[in-house]
Amino acid sequence: MGWVSKVEIISLGTLISALTWSSILSLMAIGITLLYRTTKVPNFAHASFVTTGVYSATIVSLMGFHPYLGMFLGFILGGLEGLVLFYAILEPLRRRRSSIFILMIATLSYDILLYGLLNVLADDLQTTYKILARMIYYSRLDFSIGGVPGVAVISLLALITTVILLYILLNRTTLGVALRACMENTALAQTLGINVSLMLLFSWFIAGGIAGVAGALLPFYTMCGPYIGMLYIAEMFCASILGGLDQIYGAPLGGFLIGFAKVALISVLASFVGPWITEYAPIIPLAAMAVALVLVPKGLVAIKIRRG
Amino acid sequence: MQLPLNEIALFMTDFLALFGVYLIVTISLNIQRGLAGIPQFGLMFAIAGGAYITGNMATRIAVWILGIKTDLDPVIDCTAVLSMVNPMLNTQPMTSFILILIYLAIGATFGAVLGLIQVAPAIRLREDYLAITLLAFAEIINVIATAYKPLLGGAFGVQVPSVYGWAGGYRYGVATLAILVIAAISYLYAEYLERTPLGRTLKAIRENEVAAASLGKSLVKYRAIAIVIGSALCGMAGTLWTLYGEYVTPTYTRFYWTFLPWLMVLLGGIGSNRGALLGTAIFVALDKLIIYYKHSFEAFLPFDVVWLDYILLGIITAIILIYRPQGLLPERPYIPKDIRKRIEEKIKQF
Repeated sequence: MGWVSKVEIISLGTLISALTWSSILSLMAIGITLLYRTTKVPNFAHASFVTTGVYSATIVSLMGFHPYLGMFLGFILGGLEGLVLFYAILEPLRRRRSSIFILMIATLSYDILLYGLLNVLADDLQTTYKILARMIYYSRLDFSIGGVPGVAVISLLALITTVILLYILLNRTTLGVALRACMENTALAQTLGINVSLMLLFSWFIAGGIAGVAGALLPFYTMCGPYIGMLYIAEMFCASILGGLDQIYGAPLGGFLIGFAKVALISVLASFVGPWITEYAPIIPLAAMAVALVLVPKGLVAIKIRRG
Repeated sequence: MQLPLNEIALFMTDFLALFGVYLIVTISLNIQRGLAGIPQFGLMFAIAGGAYITGNMATRIAVWILGIKTDLDPVIDCTAVLSMVNPMLNTQPMTSFILILIYLAIGATFGAVLGLIQVAPAIRLREDYLAITLLAFAEIINVIATAYKPLLGGAFGVQVPSVYGWAGGYRYGVATLAILVIAAISYLYAEYLERTPLGRTLKAIRENEVAAASLGKSLVKYRAIAIVIGSALCGMAGTLWTLYGEYVTPTYTRFYWTFLPWLMVLLGGIGSNRGALLGTAIFVALDKLIIYYKHSFEAFLPFDVVWLDYILLGIITAIILIYRPQGLLPERPYIPKDIRKRIEEKIKQF
């Protein structure tokens, strides 16, 4: 059969690339889902949180460390950006009982603000350190284990660690239980003496931090610039919606489905119809999201729960 | 001291043209969000669609109408084809006028179709899902426009016929006038729409979906109508802007064609057309002044002034949202004359 041999054209390299992208995308999507669960708002500023991670890696590498250590700086900076967004903009709006729609615009405007700041930072790095701050790519600094690029291992490890830590935090600590109470029923949590706004603040820090970690891994996978978050924001939401906006652990599921569809499926398609189709790869996540919204608007995780 | 009249005239034309295009867009947003309550975060989709389809079809149609025989591709070899088309158009104002109307019709139709495609997956869903879907779909148009070479010739874009060329030195003036006429028509149409049963139904759905549905108003149908009207206007705005610049590249961005119109409407007051007019005027004037005085800023800023624009606009939006969410000229409840009379009579009776 001709097509069987053609399917084998997906090399191990493509699969590893798909795995890497899926892990990074899942990390980005987890934050979006977490924030949607706690604050009930789709956070469009996630794009800039991710880009902040990219520049954290750049700053760390300029300071003479390995850019992978940018993950830690990315976590802190991304988390702080999340804190500021919630505390300075969303909390005043929430106190006025603004609609979800107003909150969405607020995150969008914060994204624009951060995008401007990140561009200023990129310009500044370019003139001060004479680096190409709009074309950040660290693939050559990456290590490799038996031919597998390090970023594949590190991003998968980062994802697994994040999911485990999040699980422990949410299920084994008092703080996490309080946070979950806020997700389930804000009013009831408040009557039980939980400081809801502090809990939400905490969730914004965590989500921003995870986005920063994902961003710090991104320059090992692809060429990055200040636009990179905006480029992938649609895909992050696709992964998040496909997994189910109401299920935190749905985000990795959506991330892997979309990541593999985009990277692996497109390479199979390319071997059939020609390499021109790879330019249309960004359409695949949207198509997946459109189908998911029509068939299972609550996300894939919801199906399992309903049947189980 | 003599005033630089030419410079002022040029500045005004430029300002009014951009103002007119943005006014069409903000009116469209006002119909979609202000009347129907659709969180249209993907305005760019229909605007870019109108612009790109004009880039793709304009020369083709002009060649066909003028009866030019050529084997050249009107998109890939646009310069060569236009060197035949433009001299003919320059002597035929009537043909140019008909062409403009055809282009507008195409832009509006294509915009409307794109709007429907964009909203289709989420049309039944809640506000937040709808917003994400609209935003996400808008992002693909540039992917397609850059990847599919026959549409716009790739990333470098395509030239369109100079339909205002017959006006000679006044071509930009005439182009601006055309934009302003369409903008005025859109404005009046939006004011009219608000007073029709359709407008009232849209408002009812915006205020309370469940109550409207219980009165037999289909959420899906009316959302689709609002999106079609709004996207058709956006498509026309894209067409007009392309014809004004006589050139189009696949570089319509979310910041300029979704975020800025949102900001204008927010500043003016969502749902109020006078507000949209005021907000548009303020922001376009600001934008033009910043570009005009850009060089004097550059002296003491270590980065590109464009980014300052982003930072300031981000902060301004947050301030508006927190301190004046209803906008400068908030929406006023519209009570038809006969009903107002009846109410007054009732009051007198008591």
